[in-house]
Amino acid sequence: MIRYLFSILIMVLLAVIAQQFLPALTALSGCRILPVALVFLCAAVTLPPPAMLLVAFVCGFLTDLENWMGPHGGDRAVYEVPVETLRFGYSIILYGIMGMLMQGIRPLFRRGNWQFSALLGGIAVFLYLTTEYLLINFIRGGFSFGQGTLMKITFSSALTTLFAPLVFWILFALAERFNYTIRLDTSRRRPGE
Amino acid sequence: MRPLNLLALLLFLAGATWALTRSPGTVRSMQATYYRAISPFLTVGSEMEVKARAFLDEVDHSAKLQAEVDAMREDFGRLKLIESRFRTVEAENASLRRALDFKQRNPFDVVAARITRRQPTTWWQTMEIDRGDKSGIATAYTVVTDGGLVGKIDRLGEDRSTVILLTDEACQVSAKVEGSPEVGIVQGQREQFGTTPLLRLRFLSPNARLREGMRVFSTGKGGVFPPDVLLGEIVRVEPGPLSSEALVRPSVDFQNLSTVFVLTPQKDPSVEEESAPAEAHSPRKDGSR
Repeated sequence: MIRYLFSILIMVLLAVIAQQFLPALTALSGCRILPVALVFLCAAVTLPPPAMLLVAFVCGFLTDLENWMGPHGGDRAVYEVPVETLRFGYSIILYGIMGMLMQGIRPLFRRGNWQFSALLGGIAVFLYLTTEYLLINFIRGGFSFGQGTLMKITFSSALTTLFAPLVFWILFALAERFNYTIRLDTSRRRPGE
Repeated sequence: MRPLNLLALLLFLAGATWALTRSPGTVRSMQATYYRAISPFLTVGSEMEVKARAFLDEVDHSAKLQAEVDAMREDFGRLKLIESRFRTVEAENASLRRALDFKQRNPFDVVAARITRRQPTTWWQTMEIDRGDKSGIATAYTVVTDGGLVGKIDRLGEDRSTVILLTDEACQVSAKVEGSPEVGIVQGQREQFGTTPLLRLRFLSPNARLREGMRVFSTGKGGVFPPDVLLGEIVRVEPGPLSSEALVRPSVDFQNLSTVFVLTPQKDPSVEEESAPAEAHSPRKDGSR
């Protein structure tokens, strides 16, 4: 289990690196593939809750390090209504919530129905991006949720979900390599796990 | 709930609380460490993006010709900027002759930078450039092109930095309208997915006499951006009972940017002495000035 968890953490780091090579698709409302979220969501359903929460913390922490924007600064007498920015660390909470959502269908996944998990992964990415956008609306005021935003979120979720089978395939290979049982129907838990 | 799961949840919440309560300065230093660690991959990634773009350009031009054009474009932009600065200085001198209480503007130098990544985050309008701390750039420095204001430096690395664009909602600029006493705050709008994003000029007087085509410049107030940098021109005025607003088309074509200039304090020691008390280009660690 420890070796499997360690390999997932390495996968998360690789996803962070892969993210640097993936540009936004301007033709599709500026949507993008989210490899870190994808790896986390797929891994979350294969891990017990404590390990899932650890991975959620790491993913949220790295996501915020990547995206956090500093305060505007300037003279408050001139910039009387500063634009608020999301606090560092909010992604940790969002990843935790997404992970718990995935844990809800863990019994189904353990019976071999990984397709449901892939689908739920897409829904979780959709909810994650929507929540993030709604948070921005909430802290900055002036609610707006146009078609462009909806398309961006939808395309990002759909594109990310397309790669879920690949990630699951890697996770199954890693589980087998490190003698970790993630499906009850295929083999029994081995001693010493 | 199992005791182990409960303990894990409590530890998770404690960790999240710890992260949520970090100060901007601490986050900045953590970010700097993070970007230093992934810097080699960023370099390779941006090189690949630049190469891919150059490859597409080579369909029409040879690589050598393209390099020459790039260099000339860089020089042209720089010279236009210097010319623009020269004209402003000339106007200031004329003003000095007329008024004895003239105050000299803060002088600045420019550092040319190439755009290496566009829109690296989901929600923020940002881009990355290939100049950083080593080139004398610091957080909150102004980024311009010969066309006008591009944005300001948000996150700083050793040899790369992130620019928050004028089109982002979080980038506010104290602005004035040419040929009018009106001043306000220009900022980007939240949902801008088209190729021609519009800015919003807010906090104008209710009876603002503005018309389409009037140019909008920075005032220099607020300590973030220098004065008289072109922001764009008015395309529509929206009168309101308490304050009017105007939509502004940016003077910079953000879709086709390749080279930008970062304004840095002038290196001339005699000038530095004069500019020392001024804080217009003396950033603090938390990104404010």
